[in-house]
Amino acid sequence: MSMYNYVFRRVGFMAVTLFFVTLIAFAVTNILPGDVALLILGPNATEQSLEALQTQLGLNRPLYVQYIDWVVGLLQGNMGESLRFGEPVAQLIAERLPRSMMLAVAATLVAVVLSVPLGVYAAVNQNEAPDVSASMFAFVGISMPIFLWGLVFILVFAVWLNLFPTGGYVSPSEDLVGSLTRLVLPAGAMGFALTAYIMRMTRSSMLEVLSEEYINLARAKGMSQRVIVLRHALKNAIIPVITVIAFQFSYAFGGVVVLEEVFFWPGIGRLTLTAIQSRDIPLIQGCILVVALIYMFSNFAADLLYAYFDPRIRYGGDD
Amino acid sequence: MSAPTTATDREADDGPLLDVRGLRTEFRTDAGPIVASNEVSFSLDRGETMGLVGESGAGKSVTARSLMRLIDSPGEITGGQVVFNGEDLLQKTEAEMRDIRGNRIAMIPQDPMSSLNPVMTVGEQITETIRRHQDVSKSEARQLAIESMDDVGIPDAEERIDDYPHEFSGGMRQRVLVAIGFSCEPDLIIADEPTTALDVTTQAKILDLLNEMQEREGTAVLMITHNLGVVAQTCDHVGVMYAGNLVETAELGDLFDRPRHPYTRALIDSIPEVDTDYDELPTLDGAMPDLGNLPSGCNFAPRCPHATEACRTGGDPSLDSVGDDSSRAACLHAADLDLSESTVPESGAGRRDIDRSGEPLFEVRNLKKYFNAGEGVFGNVHLSWEGGGLPTVERRHVKAVDDVSFDVYPGETVGLVGESGCGKSTVARTALRLLEPTDGEVYFEGQPLHELGSSEIRSLRREMQMIFQDPQSSLNPRKTVGQIVGRAMEKHGIATGEEKRERVGDLLERVGLSRAAASKYPHEFSGGQQQRVAIAHALAVEPKLIVCDEPVSALDVSVQAQILNLLNEIQEDENISFLFISHNIGVIRHICDRVAVMYLGKIAEFGSIEQVFSPPFHPYTESLLSAVPHANPDRETDRILLEGSVPSPINPPSGCPFQTRCPKKIGDVCEQELPELESVGGADHYISCHLSEEEMSQRDSFITPSKRAETSPADSD
Repeated sequence: MSMYNYVFRRVGFMAVTLFFVTLIAFAVTNILPGDVALLILGPNATEQSLEALQTQLGLNRPLYVQYIDWVVGLLQGNMGESLRFGEPVAQLIAERLPRSMMLAVAATLVAVVLSVPLGVYAAVNQNEAPDVSASMFAFVGISMPIFLWGLVFILVFAVWLNLFPTGGYVSPSEDLVGSLTRLVLPAGAMGFALTAYIMRMTRSSMLEVLSEEYINLARAKGMSQRVIVLRHALKNAIIPVITVIAFQFSYAFGGVVVLEEVFFWPGIGRLTLTAIQSRDIPLIQGCILVVALIYMFSNFAADLLYAYFDPRIRYGGDD
Repeated sequence: MSAPTTATDREADDGPLLDVRGLRTEFRTDAGPIVASNEVSFSLDRGETMGLVGESGAGKSVTARSLMRLIDSPGEITGGQVVFNGEDLLQKTEAEMRDIRGNRIAMIPQDPMSSLNPVMTVGEQITETIRRHQDVSKSEARQLAIESMDDVGIPDAEERIDDYPHEFSGGMRQRVLVAIGFSCEPDLIIADEPTTALDVTTQAKILDLLNEMQEREGTAVLMITHNLGVVAQTCDHVGVMYAGNLVETAELGDLFDRPRHPYTRALIDSIPEVDTDYDELPTLDGAMPDLGNLPSGCNFAPRCPHATEACRTGGDPSLDSVGDDSSRAACLHAADLDLSESTVPESGAGRRDIDRSGEPLFEVRNLKKYFNAGEGVFGNVHLSWEGGGLPTVERRHVKAVDDVSFDVYPGETVGLVGESGCGKSTVARTALRLLEPTDGEVYFEGQPLHELGSSEIRSLRREMQMIFQDPQSSLNPRKTVGQIVGRAMEKHGIATGEEKRERVGDLLERVGLSRAAASKYPHEFSGGQQQRVAIAHALAVEPKLIVCDEPVSALDVSVQAQILNLLNEIQEDENISFLFISHNIGVIRHICDRVAVMYLGKIAEFGSIEQVFSPPFHPYTESLLSAVPHANPDRETDRILLEGSVPSPINPPSGCPFQTRCPKKIGDVCEQELPELESVGGADHYISCHLSEEEMSQRDSFITPSKRAETSPADSD
């Protein structure tokens, strides 16, 4: 199967998945209790004004009409207007997306830089002191909730050592240094929490690869341990780890609302939270869609990376 | 193959190339140390080939890896010397050893599928060895790699050097491994079962290549193998290992003509030779002792037909010279025993006659099984972007079984033989409806299996049992043997309670296990015993047909013969029919009445053993039979080496499927027309080939004339 075929097929599957996501997003938000018109107008609104608003918002039309209307809007780039903010949903999301992206990318980078070398080191020294301590380190990282790490990082690096600000967000275009110093703690805390899983995956994947026949042959060819680990083993071992990294990245993206709260980071996570609290249906739908898209695209990217690292996938199926 | 004399001349000035003295390698376990290689001593001259043979667990590979100091924890070399080019390798530092590995001593590993790094091009894997040991530039190394690929017969080396291992066939990958091994012109090559994972026709080509490379480079080879046929074909002298000890070393001819150790004799005898008839295959009872729990006397004494009291109590004998030839043997009675005669009993009547006048028990008509190429729902959809514009969509199939017909009569064994990927296992699975057939008809006692619903099939399953290659994965590890065998009886309402227990006990005895085996779990048995359990399980429901899918391929030769004899015996007693699938022609030869030779999903030839092994031959059958290495160094076979490899079943060749590799191809007719499977000489012998009967009869029978005379009907009366 050629790369074209592969990409074509994957995009097809993504389109199907996206269709189901829109269905679910639409269904869930419409099943949620609470009348939107009532929420907007308050408990003292009259029957007529409520009905008028419902008609204006199109809420008394049949559900399928509302759904088709919404999807058609989506296809035209119109995600509707936020009830809470009175601004287009697309604009609200577009504003926050880069901020969340920045945090998620930085956190994933921290996690990869920490976890992959640690995992390799642990595997090479299996069951010896370095392996045990690396596993302990990872276990500590995974066993506490992510916001707790946020608080610990704030306490240690901001309050005690006074190295970084406690939170907040500054756009890098306004103040690059200020922006980066504010990024360090949330990215570090999140990255640290993500480290454990990636490290353990790297370790077990390395252990499996190191017992392969081709590693034996590399030794019989006179290769040094360093060449064997880095050239022969890691390139094979990293392949399954990529999926885990992609998953962790999408998790860092929308899944850690709490951490954005702790660090006053105005990203997608906080926006979703606000939207849910205020029953802002178009905004909730928009956020669900965007987060789902991020999941899909990071997995797609992982699959493409797979193909880059594993030549068998590039042409797989033709032999 | 005789010794290449060019290289042996050099050895005079500086002694043997390799002199191993008292090498001892132990593995630390919770139950104490296990000696996997015990005081092993042998020497190897320049340019010589020495075989190291023995069954699994004998310590061959550990010994070989010890020579390169590639023993991993918890293993450790605890004694001896490995003198290579006059220096003791055991005294070298790890860094010095790295300079020797791949450079002076290289290894050719067993499995071409797993021994190449899948994410590195073959070029990278060859050049890194060259650049590690030779002071050459990147482009020079690349040039050398291309040359070495040329040398091992990889076509278009210059284009293929940047390909990845998965883009090569198994045989080509093995050639890449040979190229890596020879890339630095080493003095010694350790070849660890270099052809075990290959099909017989590919094996023949790789062995030829090894011989040729060795002669050209004057390299010494240590050939580790369990296959005495390979030894007979390649080695100058041989070491036989048993339970961690070298029990006999001898020149090749002496070893086969006059073995000095009873184990060597037994090993030679237990190989079913293609050209010999047996009433019963000679066997070696029992199994190799557990290395952690060796007997007090000679390790082989418990299985030895010549063992005396002294053997059982006196400690393990050391390897000493015997007689006036080159042999050394570790046997107390080596000097008094004459083992030069085979213990194989004189052949009797050969296979019994099968009554084929009635209805066949099992009949397969025009069976087809196509798989989707690729995985998943859209896996077989292929877009072709050629020609510009919109891509065209096509669906691709793997024609695993393509129009196969045969029948099996009561009490008969029909074999399906062919190389990996020929579709023989798929035939069996599809015929039993374990896979849904794409097309075709299957009858069992006249009932159309292909039309029956799943509940009717289930009740028929009782009549049709299966035995698989790997008993370990087909027996439930959490159930006792008694439960496994008993459950089958309960499920089909044959027996319950006390009667069931009684019957299970009887069955276990029937397959050569004790009644007490019922309360044990599968992992407590050896591979051969597990296969016995699998046979008991199949017999429990009193089937009429048993499909055996490579039932002895995973077993050592001595155990293999035991299982084959058991199957034969059961068939004679119960009149059960077998459909027997194997890639091993020797095995097929001795268990089957009729055999179908398969190639690329089709039957190339079908007939009785006598007919298929004698002219006229389908050209594929002929090359297959000619490629089998004989465990007899004096026997020269005119081997036919096939060009290329088996084509992809997704896109099979037009006309005759074998035409792309056929040494006797006529021309256009072979490319355009699929030959019918037609009767030759009016007999029940069918060949699918455009050649005339005369053209297919240019070679003598693979069953030697004298043996055939013995088995002729006139003699059997």
